[in-house]
Amino acid sequence: MARIVLKDLVKVFGDVTAVQRISLDVNDGEFLIMVGPSGCGKTTTLNMISGLVQPTSGEITIGDRVVTYTEPGERGLGMVFQDLALFPHMSVFDNIAFGLRVKNVPAREIKERVRRAAASMHILPLLDKRPGQCSGGEAQRVALARTVVTNPAVYLMDEPLSSLDAKLRVDMRTELKHLHEELGSTFVYVTHDQAEAMTMADRIVVMNLGRIEQLGGPLDIYRRPATRFVAGFFGMPTMNFIDGEVAANGGAPEFRAKNLSTALPAGLDLGKAGRGIVLGVRGEHVLPVDAGEPGAIPGIVNLIEPMGDTTLVFFDYGGPNRLVAKVDPDRALSPGDRIHFKFDVGSCHLFDGERGTRLN
Amino acid sequence: MSVSADQAPQAVGRTPGRRRDRMPILRHAVLIGWALIVLFPIFWMLQTSFKDAGEWVTWPPHWLPHDPTLKNYAQIFALDVSGRGVAREATEQPFNIWGSLADSVIICTISSLIALFMGTFLAYAISRFGVGGKHFRHAVLLVRMIPPIVVAIPLLMYYAIMIPFATEAVLGTRVILFDTRTGVSMLYMALTLPFVIWMMLSFINEVPYSLEHAARIMGAGRMYTLWKIVLPLVASGMVVTFLFIFILNWAEFLLSLTLTHPKVSTLPVLLNKFQSASEGRLYGPQAAIGTVITIPVVVLGIVIQKHLVKGFSFGMVRR
Repeated sequence: MARIVLKDLVKVFGDVTAVQRISLDVNDGEFLIMVGPSGCGKTTTLNMISGLVQPTSGEITIGDRVVTYTEPGERGLGMVFQDLALFPHMSVFDNIAFGLRVKNVPAREIKERVRRAAASMHILPLLDKRPGQCSGGEAQRVALARTVVTNPAVYLMDEPLSSLDAKLRVDMRTELKHLHEELGSTFVYVTHDQAEAMTMADRIVVMNLGRIEQLGGPLDIYRRPATRFVAGFFGMPTMNFIDGEVAANGGAPEFRAKNLSTALPAGLDLGKAGRGIVLGVRGEHVLPVDAGEPGAIPGIVNLIEPMGDTTLVFFDYGGPNRLVAKVDPDRALSPGDRIHFKFDVGSCHLFDGERGTRLN
Repeated sequence: MSVSADQAPQAVGRTPGRRRDRMPILRHAVLIGWALIVLFPIFWMLQTSFKDAGEWVTWPPHWLPHDPTLKNYAQIFALDVSGRGVAREATEQPFNIWGSLADSVIICTISSLIALFMGTFLAYAISRFGVGGKHFRHAVLLVRMIPPIVVAIPLLMYYAIMIPFATEAVLGTRVILFDTRTGVSMLYMALTLPFVIWMMLSFINEVPYSLEHAARIMGAGRMYTLWKIVLPLVASGMVVTFLFIFILNWAEFLLSLTLTHPKVSTLPVLLNKFQSASEGRLYGPQAAIGTVITIPVVVLGIVIQKHLVKGFSFGMVRR
């Protein structure tokens, strides 16, 4: 049983407010990922859960205990650090055994549990080595084994994969997800990598400037970003944003910007026609069309980025910024070509121009 | 770190190759010249210690003793029947090199060890909790900016007069620091503490704080973490620091001279006593004592050589 409840957490460092009144429920056995740009307060929040940082105000509950001011070692949690924090002067065995020795577990049981944890992480042959002699991936496994061996109810991970190279990082994602399923414990994971968050999380917390922007499942967040910030943070390439306004064209609402206008789905109750609005549309929802199609908007191809499965086309349409479309890689395009496109109206996002909140 | 170490030789190696061939000769010439300048006095002390009185100041100088003798050593190590130091006929003061050796070893070891551990813990507090504010690290060295001669006499006043009388008035017993090992040890400890803090701070700052966080999450207390994680990682630094302050204390002369007599006498002070009105400076015995004083430091250096290399190359903690 390890549900984590954060209530009105605030952390102030000097005159900087790192975390501004965060409330969050982490379900038992959930893989929750906190994601956001650096300085958004995600690591501070994690450290408050761990107890390494004391909240300025608010309350933290783990399981059914209020642990706001409890020592980190008594909260029943394990943590993997960004730099792994393996003890360089101890063997891998001693590293893994550290937490058990602190708790005065008998030597025979330590030996057995360390071997079992090492076996599950496939690092049995490394037990006599020093962390410095392990490769990046091996060190990663040692750090995990050191956490797993104490059998915590909650796992906290602070960008644990950031020290690995790209390929290994992707492999470790799968392994971490497996580990989570095997253990059934609660995972709280911090990262700035949106792809990591999308692939592993049950639920994602998107943070910015010390606040929670959105909390939801990976697909929810991708499909219905609650704010312009979330919309821009998730997805590769970054979502297209166009500043403009909504006008009523007869009965049907229409989005108008410089050199561009597009119809919006009927029945949108914006009630703010004429006010500053941002239209967001992902590359895959920018559809190339024939020149003659009604509502087609002309543009000039600026840059081509073939990705293999798709090709990214950056083009100018006469507005302040370039737009990007994901197109079929078989389409032969080159910079300078004229292109016509249209937005998939049903997949467009509308955000308030000032506050960035979602409108549709 | 490893990247630059691997790449540097290749990058530098090819282009300025010719320069590299010529440089070592020049470099070695300079270094050998400097080594000769530094080592010559030591050589002179060593060979003088094997010369008899007539040879100490001959002209032209005898580069090696023509008639090597152990007389000087016999003389400085000599004890009379009662086990007390002997007074050479010409000099009135009794010498007891064994007593001085004991004084020096006890005073220096104890004061250096206490300063080492106190300073290490203080440095830890400064590093982790910012004790004393931003500039404490520099402020702490200010103690060493005062020339010892300035404090020697005031300290004598305290040791010889103020402290005994004040403690008698307040506590009823005299606390005597003058001419005691405790008194000298306390002073040495206080004077080398800033160096320990200064040096250990650099080593402790190298230990990533996340190691301690990891230990703390696993339930380890602050002291347990210090003993099991922090101290082992800065052990080489502690050894280097210990050697550094031990040598400072071992060679300290002025304060020991001022604050002791006649019971306690460290080796440098004893060395100074080997002169007399009738014979002047007794270069032979002085050279012999000098040699004897040097040996423990050299031996200590050789024994802990491994740590010296590690400790002097900062950044030894692998991240």
